Amino acid sequence: MSEHLDSAILSSLQEIMGEEYPVLLDTFLADSEERVRLLREALGQSDAQALRQAAHSFKGSCSNMGAPLLAGLCRSLEEAGRRGQLDGCEAQLEHLERELAIVRIMFRSERQRFVIGRS
Amino acid sequence: MPELKGDKGFITVLLAEDGPADRMLLATLVARLGHRVLTAANGLEAVALFEQERPQLVLMDALMPVMDGFEAARRIKRLAGEELVPIIFLTSLSEGEALVQSIEAGGDDFLSKPYNPLILEAKIKAMNRLRRLQATVLEQRDLIARHNGHLLTEQRVAKAVFDKITHSGCLGAANIRYLQSPYALFNGDLLLAAYKPSGEMHVLLGDFTGHGLPAAIGAMPVADAFYSMTARGYSPSEILCELNAKLKRILPVGMFCCATLLSVDTQRRLLEVWNGGLPAGYLRRVADGHYVELASRHLPLGVLENDAFDTSCDVHPLAVGDRVLLLSDGVLEVSNATGETFGEERLRTLLRECDEPARLFAQIQNALADFHGEAHDDASMLEILVSDEPISALPMQEYGKSWLISSQDWSASFEFRAQTLKSFNPLPFLLQLLMEVRGLRPRSGELYTVLAELYSNALEHGVMGLNSALKQDAAGFSEYYRQRDQRLSELDAGFVRFHLQIVPNGEGGRLLLRVEDSGEGFAVAEELARQQSPTSLGGRGMRLICRLADECTWDEDGRGVSVEFCWNAGA
Amino acid sequence: MTISAQLSADGQELIISVEGRFDFSAHQDFRNAYERVDASPKRYRVDLSNANYLDSSALGMLLLLRDHAGGDNARISLVNCRPDVRKILAISNFEQLFEIA
Repeated sequence: MSEHLDSAILSSLQEIMGEEYPVLLDTFLADSEERVRLLREALGQSDAQALRQAAHSFKGSCSNMGAPLLAGLCRSLEEAGRRGQLDGCEAQLEHLERELAIVRIMFRSERQRFVIGRS
Repeated sequence: MPELKGDKGFITVLLAEDGPADRMLLATLVARLGHRVLTAANGLEAVALFEQERPQLVLMDALMPVMDGFEAARRIKRLAGEELVPIIFLTSLSEGEALVQSIEAGGDDFLSKPYNPLILEAKIKAMNRLRRLQATVLEQRDLIARHNGHLLTEQRVAKAVFDKITHSGCLGAANIRYLQSPYALFNGDLLLAAYKPSGEMHVLLGDFTGHGLPAAIGAMPVADAFYSMTARGYSPSEILCELNAKLKRILPVGMFCCATLLSVDTQRRLLEVWNGGLPAGYLRRVADGHYVELASRHLPLGVLENDAFDTSCDVHPLAVGDRVLLLSDGVLEVSNATGETFGEERLRTLLRECDEPARLFAQIQNALADFHGEAHDDASMLEILVSDEPISALPMQEYGKSWLISSQDWSASFEFRAQTLKSFNPLPFLLQLLMEVRGLRPRSGELYTVLAELYSNALEHGVMGLNSALKQDAAGFSEYYRQRDQRLSELDAGFVRFHLQIVPNGEGGRLLLRVEDSGEGFAVAEELARQQSPTSLGGRGMRLICRLADECTWDEDGRGVSVEFCWNAGA
Repeated sequence: MTISAQLSADGQELIISVEGRFDFSAHQDFRNAYERVDASPKRYRVDLSNANYLDSSALGMLLLLRDHAGGDNARISLVNCRPDVRKILAISNFEQLFEIA
């Protein structure tokens, strides 16, 4: 598919979820808004521990959803939070938001494709 | 959704995960495996759901808001108690610190993201196996505990019943000391003591093969036969015959009873010993401090058929102050920390070096405790001090009602001939007959002693012509009893007659008892004079008879003797 | 505790060897040693050279073997007894029932 999404994982998710596949995609997209908000908040307050936890959780979700680049960006933030070095984090978070925007578009078209394929 | 029990491998799984997408994905995966899924978004919700639904397995995210997975795992493990509720942590294997933390919180396994359906299935299966194994172990443990409880209750009851029987004996007598575990019965150890009507004490120390109920089972008939036959005045040989026959009949092949039976006769100063399979007992002579070994010379009880069974006893003279010591092999097998056993040599050294015989029993007890490191309860031991104290508690037999009770005016004669004399002891029979006369009952002991003396005189010196002079020393003593056994087994002629006559006299009465034998008789006057000698060991017990009976006359030719017992109304 | 059984070359004698402690734990194995033999030997020999302990349940097992081998007609020898073992056999007077060598 692309470097943004792992097609093997997506087809496995589709197989597992069946009819519920679009709901899973929607759920992830809705949740990702909340995750990014938490990341922003933590960074705004320079709370390294909160940043680390939020990044860790989001990383797990991203890897489950077959978004390796997003997961990798989460890992960098988690790592920075763990070390307490928040200097380059603002740029990284922006990078993560850009990547999420791409993934969002791709998931929407994936959702479209699935619904059309089924009807 | 129907409740899926664990029997087809389907269980209820609690899933605690704060990410909604991850939760949804994992819940679907688990449900597709056939399990019922409960979901929680944080640790607190998870604990509440666990309490409510008692799921069998938990999938737990480590980092969650409100309450994290570690704390939730700790609480769930506490709630689960003894039951194994496996907790699989959902975390990345790359974080060592978090892994340690989740193990400490009670985690049983890990699952890393992204989830792999095959690995998840395998892990749930493995954990479910573990869970069932633990459940089976707990079930079996509880079952064993229940059975053990039953067993202990049964043992208590059995012991209570058995104590009633054993305590009818005279183990409490002042001259007896013994050591026995309260649950010796279930080690197969048996210790019985009782007086014969004539005052001899019978003691039986038995050790059944094996342990537990099978070992205890033979004890009951043995105790029963021992007490009833001793109370009726049967001899050690007769009791042994009965015990052996009984055990041979009821015990399976391969089970038997090692035993020592003693008859301690303080009036005639005689010890009879039969030992089949127990370690040697000891007779400590007060005169010189030497020990006579009372070694096993027979097969244990319950091995041989009665026709091959040998009941012959070793006979030893006794003196006041002598001590008899019996022990079970549990005493010699007491072991120390290195597994070494106490053994016969240590016991012998102890016996040899003991300069204070009154403390011998306690010294052995202490030595065993020192050797073992603590009190040992699988050993039985008994000591009898030969004393001339009068016996306080002779057994009172139960007498039923019969025609003779009110009848006090009768006579009877018996003639016992060779074939009968060889195998039958008429004394219990005669005593039982005479005990029908109420007035004679308080004197049962004296009456039995006199009967026994008269009978053994008639049989041994009269019918069999044994020379009582043999019994002047210990060696002669054994020789005398050897000859007695031999001549008795070869006996083919002769008789002993008893004439009993009850004569009423106002409210009281008299027993006229006459004993005759087929022997050559003896010089009565001479023998009476000789028995005045205080050094005489054996003899015909004539002085004893004269002392106990109210009247006593020997025929001049020594072939017959008449004695008389009187009683008054109040007796 | 190990128990092994071997039939003599002519099939007339079964030799049962007992190693270690000869006590209740040997019960089933000892039984198997003479019950699970296809032949019917005329004599039995129990080799106790490597038996270092013998208790009353072992005596019971010997009686069971004796019963199996024909009771009073059984021909059983107990061989190579160590002194301790021999002593226990002597106390029980088992020489009246077995040939002890």
